[in-house]
Formats: sequence, C-alpha cells, structure tokens
Amino acid sequence: MDPLSALQSMVSPQLGASLNNVVKDAAASATKSIPQVELQQINSDAPLPAVAGASSTGGFENLLGNLVDEVAQKQAAASDTVNGLLSGKNVSLHQAMISMEEANISFQMMVEVRNKLLDSYQELMRMQI
Amino acid sequence: MISLLTGIDSTASALDAERVRMDVISENIANVNTTRDLDGKPYQRREVVFENVLKAQQDSIGGGAEAVRIARIQKDARPPRMIYNPGHPDANAQGMVAMPNINIHQEMVDMIASSRSYEANLAVVKNARSMAVQALSIGKHS
Repeated sequence: MDPLSALQSMVSPQLGASLNNVVKDAAASATKSIPQVELQQINSDAPLPAVAGASSTGGFENLLGNLVDEVAQKQAAASDTVNGLLSGKNVSLHQAMISMEEANISFQMMVEVRNKLLDSYQELMRMQI
Repeated sequence: MISLLTGIDSTASALDAERVRMDVISENIANVNTTRDLDGKPYQRREVVFENVLKAQQDSIGGGAEAVRIARIQKDARPPRMIYNPGHPDANAQGMVAMPNINIHQEMVDMIASSRSYEANLAVVKNARSMAVQALSIGKHS
C-alpha cells in the first residue's frame, strides 16, 4: 500500500493533473541547472506519476472498500456467533469470544489504515509548492 | 477473508476438543454410582480419543492448519467394581453389586489435566491477540 498512490486515487483528477503539471514544470526548470546524467537518475529512481493513473478507478479505493467489507463481514459473523450462543445453538463460548476478537482486531486494523491515510494526506496538504 | 489471527484455528479446535473431554469427565463423575446403563449393565467409564486433522483453508498460504478433533468416545473395557451390598436391587446371588469401573480420583486428575490444556490453549489465543495488537501499533509514538 503506497500512501502516495493511494492519495492519487483519492485526489480529484483535476487536482492531480494540476499537481502533476506543477511537478513537471519544476522538473523542466531544474533541467537547466542539473546535469543530464543526474536528471536521468532522478527520473529513473522516481518516475512522475502518470495522469492517467489518477483518472482511472483507483486500486487503493477498491482495496479500502474491500477492507471495509471484510470488517463488516467479520462483525456480522461475530454477531451471528454470539446470537447462536445466546439462543442455545451448538456454539461454544470460546468460539464466540474468538470471533468477537477477530472482528475487534480487523476493525482496529481498518482504523489504523485510515489514520495512516489521513496522516499522509495532511502531510501532502501542508507541502509548500 | 483476511485472517489476522493465524494459528487461532488450531487453537479453537483444541478448545472444542477439551470442552468435549470435560463434558465426558463430568458424565463419568455424575454416573459414578449408576448400576443400570441403557443396556441394563453397570455404567462403563467413557474416554475420549483425540485425532489430528488437517483443516483445509483455501486462502491460507501455508496450505492448512493442523487441528485436533474428537475421533470417538469409547467405553473403558475394564471390569466393573464389585462391592458387597445385599440390599441393593441389582445385587447378584452372592450379594455383590457391579458398580461402574470409575475411579473418582482418576477423574479428578483428568479434569485437572483437561482444565490445564484448556488454559494453555487460551494462553495461545491471548498471545496471538497481543501479537496482532502490537503489530498494529508499529510506528506509533509510544
């Protein structure tokens, strides 16, 4: 999960395009002062993100959606197990506890992913261009 | 399905198995004086037989988790305890009554063993959980 590519899919295409233009302009102005060999190195190390990537359906968006779905599934499974236990079905106590714990952990992981994403977004918004 | 708590599957099966073992022990202790089982003979001590089973998991990289399950609950074939009690309705001509072949001390020891096994598996669950929580706190400012 690359936070930048994640952001790319979240940022609106217009904003992404303008950001890319700004970065390209900066690179073009830097070409005059930086020797060609070094610039090639920079370019090969960190290629500029393609504008097309921003407008296509974001892979990370799908990933995050899937994650949310998984967490919802786990929570539904946990509540099923607890309901089964309370209604006297053949569910043991530890099964209910374990499924609740799994739901808890996956929810925590989702919250962590969201925090990381928000952090990187705010970091990018603070960036001076 | 993402599996964040790997290793839990084996442990959950072990917890199930220990639960059944505890049920069987309680059955034995409850029937320590039962002279008439369903077949009319004195109650015979039950014991569980565990077996290993490979739990197929579609999405796990390792291919599957080794789990445990109850293979069968079998009767202890040892002869019944004979005690002298002529007044008992099930006493034979010599006044001897066939009591179940259950040794209450053995059942208590089995119960302790089962309870400790359950505890060990719960410790595995606890540690798997705390490992996951610690992994989620990677990169946090203490």
